[in-house]
Amino acid sequence: MFRLALHGVRVLDLTMAWAGPYATRLLADMGAEVIKVEAVNNWDLIRSFTGQRPTVERVWDKSPYFNHLNRNKYGCVLDLSNPKGRELFLRLVAISDVVIENFRAEVMENLGLIYDVLAEANPEIIAVSMPGHGKSGPERDFIAYGTNVEQLSGLCHLTGYAGGPPQKTGISYGDPMGGIAAAAAVAMALWDRRRTGRGQYIEIAQRENLINVIGEQVVGYAMTGREPARRGNRHSSMAPHGCYPCQGDDQWLTISCEDDAQFTTLCTAMGRPELAADVRFADVVSRYRNQDALDKLISGWTREREKEAAAEALQAAGVAASPVQSVPEVFADAQLRARGFYESVSHSLAGVWEVEGPHWRMSESPGHVRLPAPAFGEHNGYVLGELLGLSGEEIMALEAEGVTGTVPNWSVHE
Amino acid sequence: MPAESHSSLDELRVLELCGGVAGAYCGKLFADYGAKVIKVEPPGGDPLRRQGPFPAAGGPQREAGAPWLYLGTNKRSITLDISQATGRRLMRRLVEDANVIVEGFSPGYLDSLGLGFEALKSIKRPIVLVSITPYGQGGPKADWRATNLTSFASGGQMSLTGEPDREPLVNGGYQAEYQAGLQAFAAAAVAAHQADATEVPQHVDISGQECMASALELYLPWWAYLKRDISKRRGNVMSGMVGVFPAADGHIGLHIMPRNWPWFARAMGREELIEDPRFRDNYSRLQHNDELEAIVYAWAAGKTAKEVYRQAGAARAPIGFVHTLGDLLESEQLRAREYFREVEHPMAGRLTYPGAPFRMSNVEWRAGRAPLLGEHNREVYCDELGLSARELSRLRAAGVV
Repeated sequence: MFRLALHGVRVLDLTMAWAGPYATRLLADMGAEVIKVEAVNNWDLIRSFTGQRPTVERVWDKSPYFNHLNRNKYGCVLDLSNPKGRELFLRLVAISDVVIENFRAEVMENLGLIYDVLAEANPEIIAVSMPGHGKSGPERDFIAYGTNVEQLSGLCHLTGYAGGPPQKTGISYGDPMGGIAAAAAVAMALWDRRRTGRGQYIEIAQRENLINVIGEQVVGYAMTGREPARRGNRHSSMAPHGCYPCQGDDQWLTISCEDDAQFTTLCTAMGRPELAADVRFADVVSRYRNQDALDKLISGWTREREKEAAAEALQAAGVAASPVQSVPEVFADAQLRARGFYESVSHSLAGVWEVEGPHWRMSESPGHVRLPAPAFGEHNGYVLGELLGLSGEEIMALEAEGVTGTVPNWSVHE
Repeated sequence: MPAESHSSLDELRVLELCGGVAGAYCGKLFADYGAKVIKVEPPGGDPLRRQGPFPAAGGPQREAGAPWLYLGTNKRSITLDISQATGRRLMRRLVEDANVIVEGFSPGYLDSLGLGFEALKSIKRPIVLVSITPYGQGGPKADWRATNLTSFASGGQMSLTGEPDREPLVNGGYQAEYQAGLQAFAAAAVAAHQADATEVPQHVDISGQECMASALELYLPWWAYLKRDISKRRGNVMSGMVGVFPAADGHIGLHIMPRNWPWFARAMGREELIEDPRFRDNYSRLQHNDELEAIVYAWAAGKTAKEVYRQAGAARAPIGFVHTLGDLLESEQLRAREYFREVEHPMAGRLTYPGAPFRMSNVEWRAGRAPLLGEHNREVYCDELGLSARELSRLRAAGVV
């Protein structure tokens, strides 16, 4: 086995919420040394999503969501709005490779930490900003979280039941997509730095990044001038293509047939081979036109069946089908379990539980969960002492001034 | 057809052997940031070429479907039948010049052709082979068939999407595929950097299901840690603070976090609500959510979506409005940032395309067009691999290209 892909890359992580921490988790999973920097009065709001009573001891270190997103990272508390904190931060920049933030557009300017300042401390630094709207333009100071990003990108407009309103998607979709893009940009910047010896500045306007994943719809609109109609789970060139009820409460199976042969197979698997020859369903155009009738017939078959068994029967025959898996079902999924997707993580305060391992499966340098998420200020000693050479007394003095610390001001996100 | 590149990524050479959105998006991102990407198509063309929408005049034609036009940008196209021995020989020669190979075949197919990871890395040692499949290279479902819809269901995100009293809903477009493609691109860029820096080859196994399962927001950790399932889909309205609400002429979307509450009250012109005991803190707001939702519905219904958006933006409340495709093209913000680009294509003409997903100060993103089927056969086979025109004709006659 070789060393992890990003071994030796140090990342100063100022990000909070989901998009940025997802980006740095991807980098951390691949071996980067990610140092999450928070402050007593400016800490990651995800720590407040605890699902537990606020009276639980150090409840901010026990948020399942925070601990899930921030594994494999170190944590340091440093107030960048304090001149001493800022100076220490710039000393960290000098010995790091990447600085990444997803603040509102103006925050780094207000802190006096724009790219030129970072590059003065380290000309090879790669700096990433992830504002919702970008760092320029009339809407740059607007604020957008993940669900806003999908509204602003057209994705929400494209999602929905036939004849219904635009639909919110199930997750804050812009966040992970922005995070993946940021990780990719960092990797390209590392490639570039090996050739040019220079760092660079990367700006990810999250709404722009998300328009790219509906790009074919934009080109289609430019071509035809027509807004695509929302059509639920149906597809423009496949039929059947839908989500069908199964035995039990709220149990569903998706099925789609890419061609006539698969449809014939589906009919046989359902014990209705005659349907393949029915004039209403004989070719894709007929099936598309008669989808209501077709869906009714398929639902009649699925309703009598358990979704997993039905999916297995259809897959055995060669038809694309999958149960709609709930989150607990994804957690128990036989495929994911067989691939060792979930790994155990042990946290000194939060205990032991399972979390998914790195999903970029690298054959020669596989990543794993090496470290639990950092407790608030857990690695102050490593970062300020070992990396910057401050003495124990100096760190205690900084703590007394509130420049560093180990207890967040809870009222910030109450 | 690549535009001129001013990027150090032009030293990165990618072979793309995929039929579908995921691999094509991965290849497109490399190509748009300057890498030299060759799309290796079967002689009949990438199946993606058969997807609409197509131009109104002329009907379906393989050079002008919108997904192909968008996802093929800045690539060169060659045709090659790798199921034939001659095709495989040519493939090995192409590999000698490549850093990254992106493929989306069924697990084991390339191995069966003698073009699996072990074989490829003996041709070019620090090769990065990226395999993108719905379920990954191994496991009991590795051979399961999938489309974007069924993949979206298997990864858990579909169970979270849609109205509680209706069937779960797939996201618009091809989101299961785009997620896998974007993840594959980032993983490939990391592996390419590693191969470049340390000469380590890598087989990167990307499972679409795992990509989606890694992005289940707080729902998976809640279950894994607290054994509480809060994942039941909840439609458009999560609460009076998060959701999509109808405006007078369209829809707005709220995502109000606790500390945004005062700004939100001000954006609604209801400053007095900030200290109202029913809404003063997050807990109280959830206790009085029905009243809050009623206030939000009534407020939104009386305003146009754009009016809300402007007011909320000025008040710094996280509120968006649901942009139609037309709204995107008219957006002042996107115009001011010159996001959209015009691209000329010989068959499809001049059309508007999305621009750079992110902007790098030293790695230039370029607008270019998709290639015609086999457009670069001569350039790649003759000029670069050194085949004669005669040999190329023979390959053509044998159906290899």
